[in-house]
Amino acid sequence: MTILEHVGGLLTGSEGKSYEELWALKNIRFTLNHGESLGVFGPNGSGKSTLLKLLARVMRPDKGVVNCNGRVAAVLELGVGFHGDLTVKENAEVYGVIMGRSRSDMKLLEEPIIQFADLEKFQDTKLKHLSSGMHVRLAFSIAIESAADIFLIDEALAVGDLEFQEKCLEKFRQFKKEGKTIVLVSHSLKLITDFCEKGLYLLNGETKAFGTSTETTDLYLSDVRDGFPSVKA
Amino acid sequence: MVILTVVFSLLLRSNIPNFPAFILMALLIWRFFQVATSQSLYSIVGNPSLVSSVYLPRALIVLSSNLANLFGSSIEFIVLLPLLFLLGVHPDIYAFFLPVIVLMEFVLIFAVSLLLASLNLKYRDVSQIWDIAIQLGFFLSPIVYDESSVPSRYKPLYSLNPITRLIEATRGLFLQQQLPNLYDLFIIFSVTGLILIAGLAVFQHLQITFAEEL
Repeated sequence: MTILEHVGGLLTGSEGKSYEELWALKNIRFTLNHGESLGVFGPNGSGKSTLLKLLARVMRPDKGVVNCNGRVAAVLELGVGFHGDLTVKENAEVYGVIMGRSRSDMKLLEEPIIQFADLEKFQDTKLKHLSSGMHVRLAFSIAIESAADIFLIDEALAVGDLEFQEKCLEKFRQFKKEGKTIVLVSHSLKLITDFCEKGLYLLNGETKAFGTSTETTDLYLSDVRDGFPSVKA
Repeated sequence: MVILTVVFSLLLRSNIPNFPAFILMALLIWRFFQVATSQSLYSIVGNPSLVSSVYLPRALIVLSSNLANLFGSSIEFIVLLPLLFLLGVHPDIYAFFLPVIVLMEFVLIFAVSLLLASLNLKYRDVSQIWDIAIQLGFFLSPIVYDESSVPSRYKPLYSLNPITRLIEATRGLFLQQQLPNLYDLFIIFSVTGLILIAGLAVFQHLQITFAEEL
């Protein structure tokens, strides 16, 4: 509402707007231990991105408490702060700092990151001249270098070519060995069962199931097949 | 500046000596305030991904917008100040105090920007309201007239305007070759301090729901 609308409402004595309350997430309760990885899935609008935003502290819960022990790296949108007029190297520095690294760290990490992204040839080219796939590769390569204990990934692995996807998964497997925690939102149930031990099936903002990734994804698959009986009833 | 000089010294006939120099300094100070605050209105609204996709201290976004304008305005100052020499003004050593005045103005701008950027997100017409407020502010500050022209009834309230004090302090440096007096400094510090406290409080309170309002 704008101030004009507020004032206008006061003067004309109108009731103001009425709306129906919709809780994006309700009664979500789970614990994830260090070194475990969780796959979050469910239909569109079930609250997956909102959950990640709450974990990333970008949003605050209206009720309840969110606790994350350790540094959190949120990869919710690839290339936050990317600027087309800066070169690949410069964007790497900016994005790295936004993700929480210090400038001096980024100076050292620039080379390995650009190498991982396969963009050595383009390191001094302005970002606007590169394809969107290259943007994604660069963004992801930087994001995985954030010195964090907990990684939150929102459907971002879906982009990038197969070779790059495999590279990233390799890196995540290494993270798991190092005891890092990963929360992954994805529509690819295969990815979730291959990679994550635990699964969280969200439906209409509530926890339909929380358990092993195979159990929960199986339930989701049967729901999709049967047309979500629990909701239609 | 040329337009203002023509209107006020030829058409409306102000009796201030060396009118162009008189308004030049005030304009530089005013323009910094006007441009920096107006741009800060869009610093949060215009960068949704910095608010809803990463965890960053949001006040830094406002600060960064202000710093960019500080850089731009400093260049304006550096380019236009030699004009003063051409207009016959000979600033002494006192001119080196100018960066301190600009710094004080920067803190004032930051305080106001915190209020504006956060309020504009919640009530999107704050930018239009500020447009009008700025126009009013231009005439409420002694840019095209001298503070002494203000009727004595309104003088006490009028002199509490920190922009007025900043402008008078700058004119003092260059035209009268004197450092800002304690009264000027006291008003600037205290009013800026109050606005800063209000700005930080409002910003902190509103920033909790930034990601939802975007």
